Amino acid sequence: MIYSVLVLASPNSGLAARSAALFVQAALARGHVIERVFFMDDGCYASSDFRVMPQDEPDAMQLWINLATLHKLELVVCISSAIKRGLLDEAQAKRYETASATTHSAFTVSGLGQLVDATSKSDRVITFGG
Amino acid sequence: MQIEDKKSSLIVLRKTPYGSSLSRSALDVALATAAFDQPVNVLFMGDGVLQLLPTQDSTPIEKKNVAKILASLPLYDIETLFADAGALARYNINPAELTLPITTLDASGMRELLHNHDHVLGF
Amino acid sequence: MVLHTLSAGPDSSAFSDCLRVASADDAILLMGNGVYIAVEGTQPCSDLVAAKVKTFVLEADARAAGITDRISSLVSVVDFDRFVELSEQFPRQLAWY
Repeated sequence: MIYSVLVLASPNSGLAARSAALFVQAALARGHVIERVFFMDDGCYASSDFRVMPQDEPDAMQLWINLATLHKLELVVCISSAIKRGLLDEAQAKRYETASATTHSAFTVSGLGQLVDATSKSDRVITFGG
Repeated sequence: MQIEDKKSSLIVLRKTPYGSSLSRSALDVALATAAFDQPVNVLFMGDGVLQLLPTQDSTPIEKKNVAKILASLPLYDIETLFADAGALARYNINPAELTLPITTLDASGMRELLHNHDHVLGF
Repeated sequence: MVLHTLSAGPDSSAFSDCLRVASADDAILLMGNGVYIAVEGTQPCSDLVAAKVKTFVLEADARAAGITDRISSLVSVVDFDRFVELSEQFPRQLAWY
């Protein structure tokens, strides 16, 4: 089946954000196609390249990067949620003349049309929040 | 962008208008879905019914007025807003005092609404 | 048919709202704070069981909470593979939190 996954929860609060990544991993293992993973609201924090994790704590973002690299996943961060949270890719950093980009290159910052496009093609839409 | 396939979505809103950014995010998704010509409906459940109060004045908190955003939904062909009758009663809100085009639903009505859409997104 | 994923705890409005709209042919997956609802011998667990909806609890989150020995026998413990399998069976998913 074709899945879209919507992530609304921050990796720093609660368990939902991590569960989203593990769900995607399990779905791929079962042979499903992930059309797109769309990060919105506090979910955008998954893309922050400037976060520093203590050595004894797992790096949630690394899980997404590994999945994206291995499976050529599209990880899209909602532009309006992202920029107000200080999450800008190269294009946005240039546009808004900020000191640098702050998102990891595995993530693309884009509009809600990408979410609608993905869900219109999907058999399943799974939301992770809270 | 031309989106060819049509899948219907139901957005379920359960947050107060200004207590969480999720209320705006939910509406942004509803509007974008409609703008790209995909069938979409909205259901205000639990605390979400508080977004329907017409007397909101967000000027002192310097935020966009959620009630005003909701009033624009019919312009995007979201002509009916579904609302949790039980929650309205619990908050002592008379549906007649709401200025938006509301249809109230009891539990079985809400269940049926969920089942009538391809996708359901919970905010 | 809806797969309800419930991440909020026993006292939450998410739990009560979820029970109001869950149908007998739906399923509920408890995760995050929701795992505490599965604790046997509690009122929330009784309410959940009385709703007669197939209920599951995410193992990783239940283990983190330390409640794996307290889970009601009427709630099935699942891993992510089974979570995905549930999503295959239920055309819609609704997140409550």
